[in-house]
Formats: sequence, C-alpha cells, structure tokens
Amino acid sequence: MTEPLGRVVATERKPNTPHEFHFWTSLESPVGIGTIVRVDGSHPIDGRIPHIYGIVVEGFSYTDLQSPMHDVLGHDGSPANAGFSATERAEIRLYSAAVLRQIPEEPLQPVPMGQVFLAGEEDVATALRMDAYLKEGAHTGIPIGVYRAGATDSVIWLDADFLLGPEAAHLNISGMSGLATKTSAVEWLLSSVFTHFPESKGSIAAVCFNVKGPDLCYLDQPAVRLEDSDRALYEKMKVEPAPFKQVQYFAPYNAKGYSLNTLRSNEALTHNVTPLTWGLREVLQYAEVLLNKDDLDAKADALIDFISERVVGCRMERDGPLSRDHSVESFADLEAWFRDLLQGMEAKNQDSWRTHHIATIRKVRNRLINISTRCAGLVTNSGDVSDLPFGSFEDRAVYVVDVASLEEDAQDLIFARIVSRLREHLERRDLGVKHLIVFVDELNKYAPNDTQDTYVRKMLLDISERGRYLGLVLFSAQQFRSQVHRRVVGNSGTAIYGRMDGDELATPGYAVLSPAVRTKLATLEKGQLMVRHPHFTQPIFVRFPRPAVLSGREGAEKFPQAVEVGLAAALYRSLHELDPGVTMGWVKDMIDLYDEHELIDARNVTTLMKPANVRAFFQSRLKKIIPSETVSAGTRPAALKPLPVGDPYGS
Amino acid sequence: MGHRAGVNQRPFDEEARNWPASPHEAAKFFLDQLPGCEPVEGARAESERYSHGEDVPVLLAPQMLEGEALRAVHVADPRTVRGESGFAGFLDGTQDVRVVNHVYGVPIVWGVVSAAIRARINKRLVSWNSRAPIVKRNYYLPFRYVNGMRDALKSHPNVVDTGRASASGDFPSRHPAALMEAAIKRVQIDRESIETVLAEEWCARETSALYVDGSITASKAVSTSPFAIGVVKTHRRLYAEGDAFRTLVGLRAGERTTMFRVSPQSRFPVASWYVRVRPAAGRDALFGLVRAEAAITGDISDRVTEISRWIIAEASPLSLPDGRWDKMAYGIRETEEFLRATS
Repeated sequence: MTEPLGRVVATERKPNTPHEFHFWTSLESPVGIGTIVRVDGSHPIDGRIPHIYGIVVEGFSYTDLQSPMHDVLGHDGSPANAGFSATERAEIRLYSAAVLRQIPEEPLQPVPMGQVFLAGEEDVATALRMDAYLKEGAHTGIPIGVYRAGATDSVIWLDADFLLGPEAAHLNISGMSGLATKTSAVEWLLSSVFTHFPESKGSIAAVCFNVKGPDLCYLDQPAVRLEDSDRALYEKMKVEPAPFKQVQYFAPYNAKGYSLNTLRSNEALTHNVTPLTWGLREVLQYAEVLLNKDDLDAKADALIDFISERVVGCRMERDGPLSRDHSVESFADLEAWFRDLLQGMEAKNQDSWRTHHIATIRKVRNRLINISTRCAGLVTNSGDVSDLPFGSFEDRAVYVVDVASLEEDAQDLIFARIVSRLREHLERRDLGVKHLIVFVDELNKYAPNDTQDTYVRKMLLDISERGRYLGLVLFSAQQFRSQVHRRVVGNSGTAIYGRMDGDELATPGYAVLSPAVRTKLATLEKGQLMVRHPHFTQPIFVRFPRPAVLSGREGAEKFPQAVEVGLAAALYRSLHELDPGVTMGWVKDMIDLYDEHELIDARNVTTLMKPANVRAFFQSRLKKIIPSETVSAGTRPAALKPLPVGDPYGS
Repeated sequence: MGHRAGVNQRPFDEEARNWPASPHEAAKFFLDQLPGCEPVEGARAESERYSHGEDVPVLLAPQMLEGEALRAVHVADPRTVRGESGFAGFLDGTQDVRVVNHVYGVPIVWGVVSAAIRARINKRLVSWNSRAPIVKRNYYLPFRYVNGMRDALKSHPNVVDTGRASASGDFPSRHPAALMEAAIKRVQIDRESIETVLAEEWCARETSALYVDGSITASKAVSTSPFAIGVVKTHRRLYAEGDAFRTLVGLRAGERTTMFRVSPQSRFPVASWYVRVRPAAGRDALFGLVRAEAAITGDISDRVTEISRWIIAEASPLSLPDGRWDKMAYGIRETEEFLRATS
C-alpha cells in the first residue's frame, strides 16, 4: 500500500462538504493545483469504506506567525538575518480539493476525515468516470493527453460518444496566440481521433479551414524535431508520431488568376493542392452571405430568387426590353443580361420588369456583379467549378481549405457554402464518411457575441446545436472565449484551455474556476492544457505531445512560397505538371494568340479535368482562330471585262 | 444534580477501557461513577488561577563557581550568532487542569499532562525518533473527603489522591482553594515526572544538547549529563543579592553572568548562570533574561560561553504571540503548540 501524502482536515470555519474538502500535506509532497487525490474514509458507510476522489483547486501555505511584524522584529528588520535562524517556523501546506466522485455515490455525504493518497492510474480512471467507456469490448476512448502528478502518468481519455456525437459533441479551444495551444492541440487531437475512433462507429474525416498564416499548410509533412518526451507521450497514448497520410488542400486562385492563393505554393508540395473555383450558380445560392441586411430587403431577395430560378441556367428569349436571347451560365453572361435588360427598360422608359422595379434591378446588379470582383480568384467568370470531393470523402482523410490570404467576404462565402454542402451530404448520408469534423479557428471573428447576426454565425450556431445528430462535429478555436457567442461555446461538450490572458480570465465565464486554477491557466507552459469533458466533474490538466507534423513556421522556412510569376510561368507551371511535354515555348505561342482571361479559363478547366492530352484539351477550350490564307498568283480572279466601246453608261 | 435517577452505575472495568479523552467526557464519566457527584458547566482551565501561589519571590546569594562575584561576561552580539545553535532538540511539557465535577464542595480535578521532545533536523522540528508525546489524563481528588468511591476507582492508576498527609503529617484543608492548590501541585509533579522520563532517555541515547524548558535539577541523570541544558524563564528566585543584583539587572543583550551553583532542597546541584537574550532598554529588569542550568562537569567553564551563544541564537525566530516571547525559544513554543494539538 502506498504511503498517504496527506490528511483530511475540517474546522467549523472551514468545513468539508459533499463537493469540497481540505487536507494538509508535508512540505515535500508532490501535490499541486490540478493534482488528483483519493481519500480513504476511516469508517464504513453501509458496510463499505468510502473512497472520495478530488482534484486540488486551491492551496494555502502559512506559518504559526501571527503578524508579519513579528517576523520583522524577530530579524531586527534585516531580511539578511532571516536566513540564519536556527529553526524554520512551523509551516503548513493546506489544500482544497473539489470532489470528482464519491464511491459509494449514495448517500452523498460531506467528505469524511481520512488519509489522502496520490491517485494512481486506476484511481484517475475511476475519478473521471472513464471506467464507464474504457471497458473491454466497448472502448470509446480518445486520448487527449497525459495527466502527471508525482509518479502517476495517466492517460486521460475523452469519450468518443461525447466528443463526436451522438450523446454530446463539439470541441472548443481557447488560448493565447503563439503559444502552441490551438493549432497544435487540434493537430494532435485529430491524430488521436483518427487512431482511436472505434471502427464500429464508422468512418471519419476532417475539413479544416486554414484562416491564418501557414498553420495548417503542412499536415502531410513530418515534424522537424520530436523530443524523446514527445515520443514517449505518443507511445503512452498509442498514437503513431507521424504526419497525416491523406491530406488534400484546396485554395482559390489569386486575384489575377495566375496561381493559387496559398502559402503552400512550393513546387514540392503542389501535388495535392486543388484549385477551389465556383461559378455563378454556386455563388448565387449563398448570395446572402455576401450581402448585408441593408442590401437584402424583400424586393432584392425576390429578384435574386427570380434570377436563381429563372435566369441562371435557363434560356431567356428575346422579350420586352431584352433585345436578344440570353443563356446565363457565368458572371459575364449575367452582366450581359443585366446590361441588355436595363438598356431596354431605359429605352422603353419602363419602371419595372416582371414586377421588379428598375432601382431594385440596378441594386442587385451592382451587388451581384461586385461579388466576382470581391471574390476574384474564387468566383470564375466562366462558370467552371472545382470543389471538394463531396460524395467521395475518404476515411481518416483531412481536407484543408486554405482561405488565409482571402478577403473576408470570400472567406465567409467559402465557409458557408462548404459547410452547407457538407451538411446536405451528411443528411443524405452520401458524403463518403459517416462522421466529419470541421475545424474553424478565429471564432471570435466568425461567431462573435457582440455583433449583428451574420450568415456564418447562424451556420455555426446551427452546427453546434444540431450537427451532432448528423455526424457533423465542430472543432472551434479562439483567443477569447468570452467574446464568442454563448450558444456556440456552450454547446461544445468538450472544452480545452491553453494559456489564457489575465483579462480574459477576469471575465465572468471563468468565475467557476478557483483563483489558483485561473493562475495556473495564466501560466500554463507549452504542451499543457486544461480539459473539460462531460464525464469530468472538474477540469483536468493534461500534457499533450508536440504534433508530429511540420509546424507552420518551420514549413514556411523549409518550403518557401513560390515567387509570384507572370502569366507564362503560371501557365507553364500548371500545365507542365499535368503534361511534362508542355514547353515554355508552346505556352508563349499560346499567349501570343489568345487573351489572358481566355487562357486562364482554359488552364482552370484543364487543371480540373486532368485530360489525357493536355495540350489538345487546353487548345480546345480556346476560341477557334481561322488561319489567314495566302492568295497565290494562279488563283487570281479573272480581270473584269473591259467596258464596251460607246457604252452610254460608262464614265 | 447528583447521580441521575434511573441511571445505573456502569461497571468500572468497562469504562476503564474507554478512559476519557476530554474534559466533557471526564465529567460524564465521573458522574456515572460517583453518587452525589455534580457536573461543573463549562469547566475552565484553572492552572493560571492557582499557579505560583505558594512561591514567594526571593533574592538569594549565589554560590559562585566562576570567580568570586557575579559579573557580566560578553558572549556575543545577538545579531551575529543566529543559526549557531548546538541544540539538537527541545523538551517541554504542558498541563491542563479543570474542575469537571464536585461532590459536596470537593473539586474533582481533571488534569492532562504531556511532554515531548522535538528534534531539529535540517532546521525543521520533528518528533524525536518519531515518538509520540507522553500524555497522561488523571483525576485528582482527595479520597478522604469523598464518600462512596469504589475500590476499583481508588486503585486506578489514573486517579490520584490529593488528600494524603504531607511529610509533616498534615492533611490538606477541606477549603476548596486549598484542595485546588494541592491538586495543581500534583499535576505539576506529574508533568515534571514525564518530562524527566524524556530528558533521561535523551541523555542516555543522544550525544548532542537538549534544550530543556525549565530546571534540570529534578533528576540525577539529567542534572549530571552534559547533554541537557535547562533554561528557566521564571525568576521567583533570583540568585543575586546586593552588587550582584545590580550586575544582573544591568546585563546587556548578548551578555551572561559568571557561573554559580544551584542546589535546591531535595534536588540535584547544577551550574547556573544568567543570559540576557534581548535588549531590555525601556523594558522591565527581567525582560529577555533567562537562567541556564548545566551539569557541573569538568569542562563546564569552557562550555558556558558556547552554551550561552546557543541560547542567544535560539531567540530567533521570535516566539510571538506567546506572552513570554522575550525569553522563550521558538523551539519551545513549537513544542508547546505540538502538545496542545496532540494532547
């Protein structure tokens, strides 16, 4: 039997309760804030010795000194003398612990006096109720980290049913930027989920939105260095310290359309980067995302609906103000349709067309056409679509959508459309996987609690409130939890906290934590987290290993971003990757013959289709040019007959 | 109230197995044992009310062991000797005396005496050899004035008769105050006896110095051991008359007097000297003044200054909030607190 490290104490002024107790330890004890302990009661209840598990949430230390002045007097006011006392004052280490679990659970009584022991591995599992989901044959545990105290090194498991549904779901991470909390924790946790998610629960994949810097750009690349301590943690939690095996990147083109707008543009890494481009039809479905409330009055909404249903993808015949037939497939077609319609209405002095007022038509035209400018690179004029592989998602694959370099509008549009599509497919059960994790960072920006309702926020709320029934799980992160919509964070069954800012910790949301726990949160070192989970009655501190993937900063150094190139180099790079036979000379010939936008559209389609004969396909997408014919002497037309002599009509 | 009607006296043997541990239990226990016994509500500590009543302050001429007359010897600046103590342990005892019942005006006294040695290891005080303190819980009452006591109770080792005749054959008066003083005197004797047990054990087993709170003259083994140093804080008897008294009250902090011999009646002789551990400027004459006792060994003249330095060094840390902080070593205060918590 191990040695007790403390004894429960209670006084009238500081009594024990069913949820809190106090104990003292020796000065050398390994107990600290966050340590899990076990109390063995002295007297049986209903024939059973009670065992109480608790986590240290507060610590006190004091001596028998009644007033600080006594110490000053005792050392003649000289701190230097204090070190030379023959005896150290009697000192106490007194701790308060929050009860995690009592066994037996009934009757629930105040914690009795008894000896206090450091919790061993089995104790930790019992204290955190992990024993319920770590049973042989019904193991749904996902390791989140290792709890350490004294000689105890215990894996802390989350319950997959409560992390990924259906019982509860979603994960929210809070922490200061730059301290390896949010991105690192998610990278590690995804590895853990992919390794330990029970086969019986089906397939799982993740879609990550890379919203800033190169954070998620190198998930398929191994870490530059992993310490032995990290490897030991991986081994302890039975997760392979390796990068993700299946990663697919998606990024829209930059505004010019030459190259993809991503930091993962190094030629060595472009093999799994796919363009993300949408046409008019895709964008119009989510026009609401890009239009603010002032834009979207009932009239404008009605016109957009009309355009979506009756104009886009349909043939509009010459009618009324329209001077010609229209087939609207792209933003360019739509602009032509609007121009024709408005010119016709002006010419005929018409105020309205099909109940839509000319002012509304002008406003909607302005807003919609503007989208292609605001989301240049994402929205194509040609209407070609390159998208995530909805319907064929693969098990244990990560799909990273890099929106870090995009304008806010484009980010919103991408997020809204992709999540909506994911949801639709999950509802139909035809996404390709049964469970999907969506990771979104910077929730302060996308779901703030202090601005008007936005489409993206509504969507995040919808996922957090109903997603678990579909298998759609939100892993979200932000710096300031207090500034995120309460229902988004409130619906996250599991919450992770890294090192927190003092101001943030002073907000009411953290009032449930003791001052000591808040202090620990403010001083957490890298690799340490505080975890709340439905099975844990109190937050637990754990260590997690450095992710086994290349970090954003190291990746940017190892794989520098490709330099911005001109049209020729951009075309060459894209097409040469598909067909090594493509030469720069051939590309330059094409540039001499065709317009830039035409070449880019052709390149986009070629990249998307990946045809067998790249050059032929590419050229087939360009307008036909009728070659000029050289007139030879032999084929000269016959000379005109000479005028008859005396012709009265000759000049 | 007396013995409660309808409540049978419980067999003493059965009760003996569960000897009272608190004044409340002590009162209840005796109610069951003695007819006519009445409880005292809210029994309070009585030691202070009756202590020292028999000691008359006196000045005695010292029998010098060092030189011809009492004089001051500079030992050390108290600010420079800190941490230089050679004491490896502290011995102290406590007593708690309460009247828990009375029988027709005769007080039934419940006394708890305890003693412990706290050893100093790495500047921290711990129980010497992990030994629990000696604690004795006794009833003190004059059998001759209490009727109806059963033999089993009279012969119990933890029931002390305070009504026996003195050496001169006089019995104590039935006056309740006289009976209280007699009881308290027995409690003090019991306390001293358990302190002596511990001190003798130390002297037999250890080879470093023990700081004994009080006199070491009660035991021959202790009074002759070089490893026990008694430090007396009370000065009902001052070994200084005439010029010696002026020398004594004029002692400055960090000074000692020359040694003299102390041999109380029916006790064992020791070498003794005074040490001023704190400056007394602006205070009363005895502020910071202690009297040290050590065995009269061959090398005592060589050790007296060193022991004095140790005593001065023990003035830090301060033993406030104890009222005797000017003279009390922190180790003694800690031992008292330890005993208070455990007995």
